[in-house]
Amino acid sequence: MTKTLCTCGVVLVMSMALIGMPGCSKKSVQSGGDSQSTQGMAKGGGADSSKSGVGSFPDTGVQSGGGGLRGLDKNPSEERVGSGTMLAKVDPSSSAERQMDEIRAEQAASAAAGLRDVLFGYDSWTISEDGRQALSRDAEWMKSNPSALVKVEGHCDERGTAAYNLVLGEKRAKAARNYLVELGVGANRLSVVSYGKERPSCNEHAESCYQQNRRGHLAVKTGK
Amino acid sequence: MTQVKLISAWFGGALLLAGVVGILESGAADVFLEATRPDFQKISLGVAGIHNAGGPDWLGGRIEEVLKKDVQRSLVFDLVDLPSLGIQTPDVGNGMGVGSKAVFKQAAEKGVSVLVWGKASLKEAEKNADVNMEGFVYDSGSDEVVGGKRYAGSPSVVRQMAHRFADELVFRYTGEPGIARTKIAYVAEQGGARELFVMDYDGYDARQLTADGFLNLMPQWSPDRRFLIFTAYRNRNTQDIDMIELATGKRWTVISLGGLNITPALSPDGNFLAFASSHEGNSEVYRLDTRTKAIQRLTVNPSGDLSPSWSPNGRELVFVSDRGGGPQLFLMGSDGLNVRRLTFEGDYNAAPVWSPRGNWIAYVCRTHKEYKLCVISPDGQKRMQLTTGPGVDDSPSWSPDGRHLVFSSTADGKSHIYMMDADGKDIERLTFQGTHNSAPSWSPAS
Repeated sequence: MTKTLCTCGVVLVMSMALIGMPGCSKKSVQSGGDSQSTQGMAKGGGADSSKSGVGSFPDTGVQSGGGGLRGLDKNPSEERVGSGTMLAKVDPSSSAERQMDEIRAEQAASAAAGLRDVLFGYDSWTISEDGRQALSRDAEWMKSNPSALVKVEGHCDERGTAAYNLVLGEKRAKAARNYLVELGVGANRLSVVSYGKERPSCNEHAESCYQQNRRGHLAVKTGK
Repeated sequence: MTQVKLISAWFGGALLLAGVVGILESGAADVFLEATRPDFQKISLGVAGIHNAGGPDWLGGRIEEVLKKDVQRSLVFDLVDLPSLGIQTPDVGNGMGVGSKAVFKQAAEKGVSVLVWGKASLKEAEKNADVNMEGFVYDSGSDEVVGGKRYAGSPSVVRQMAHRFADELVFRYTGEPGIARTKIAYVAEQGGARELFVMDYDGYDARQLTADGFLNLMPQWSPDRRFLIFTAYRNRNTQDIDMIELATGKRWTVISLGGLNITPALSPDGNFLAFASSHEGNSEVYRLDTRTKAIQRLTVNPSGDLSPSWSPNGRELVFVSDRGGGPQLFLMGSDGLNVRRLTFEGDYNAAPVWSPRGNWIAYVCRTHKEYKLCVISPDGQKRMQLTTGPGVDDSPSWSPDGRHLVFSSTADGKSHIYMMDADGKDIERLTFQGTHNSAPSWSPAS
């Protein structure tokens, strides 16, 4: 009863294994962590994305059924077993090293500038009195170093979900940025980014550590 | 298959696995259609050995061990221990010989519905020799050897052979493709960075997919299993949504609108991408038509809206919003209309994922200051807390059969990945290496 269905499934699975990725031969995408948005994966005549900020999209709908299973057979013929989903070997890119170098340069420049972090309460993005004092000094530094560009990073402690902490981190970064602007720092010199709970400065499961991680961190931009 | 009860017709309706559709169309009657109901009776199954027929000592035992674990995790079968029932497990070949009859009779008398056995061999002396495996199935209801499988492949894929055979067993008795060949994508720490990895559903064979040295977060599978879609940071300053093709490693940016661009989720048919973006101010949920590239804003609210997850029929989304204070779950149509709040218990509910069967939404709930996992029915009528104790649980993701959840937890100190049954039972740790494994995402069934 399942013969027709299952044969199709197997043919499809085998053809994927042999040919690789049918229908995707026109790719011209780059690998690496800082690749630019590229074209070429669009289906239907390769229509280019005309809207800025949206890259090309492959067809990801499910075309097969039956899971490649053929069912039990009283006289089974031999099936070739592969490793399942094909996975490319990861490129040891130079990106990781470059990022490390840039992070170190950023950290050194920020430390030299003496910029201070703003700490936040649990679940909170309100700037405390201590935070206002820290930001006032940061603002003074920015005014006396008018060419410096600063990135305001929002961070969270490990509690809570990764996703919601990205939103919370952005709220913290924007709160710090807005206060700096209130103090007279040009908004065009400030960018914000949220790292959620993914770049902790401290890794213990304790409140003292959580407090250090709930921070708005000011980083002097050194590169692009 | 006569003693295998046909459990009543499909009631979910929303989800029709491709394989099941095929079976229904072919008019087969000897399948289970709903193995997640509480009254579902597991089928007793015994494994009468995967015998070594030449080759290294570990061979048959390894396959048998993997197969037994798969059978247990399927939740379709009740794995019985044959020796404890006094049932002998000699190699009975293809089950056609006279010696087999006695074993079958014993199994039937002891109430074992399905008996599975097989053998494996590897000609070690030969270079690049294949492992050969045979597996057979006796069904005591029909008192016959209903069939078997023969596999060949390199010694590196013996686990896959066991997985494949296990999925055939599930397919035979449920019409579903099984989960033993599924994969789990996740994030692991490497030198302070977060990189994407993919492993087998049982935690074996982890492979690294990205190596750019910064943050790659919260991967999700495309419906066809060929791509992952995830949040990445270009040069650490700009947050984008990227895709990577598993087979080639090719990677490109699909959403770079500025601001925060997070929590991408492809619709079940792949035609829409729901995601959260703050490019117009605060985080809102958007929907991209992947064919026309038209972007539609679904939420309009001064609070943070994020983490959309599709209902299996693609008609609705569950998402998180902190309108009114802390994060809570809300539902809306996939056009952004008919928004209503789903969770009212507790002041922090987030990271929702809609079950592929449609009947539950799993999420992170905060109770007594701990971040644990809960499920709620889409009508809000039923709610259960699944995990307890210390540690932050995060990022639940359903198995494609809807019977399991995978999630991250710091219960053992560092963040690791765990799976459990959908009712919170049988928690199994999947990762043991590294300092930070998180954001697991279970692949669709193949």
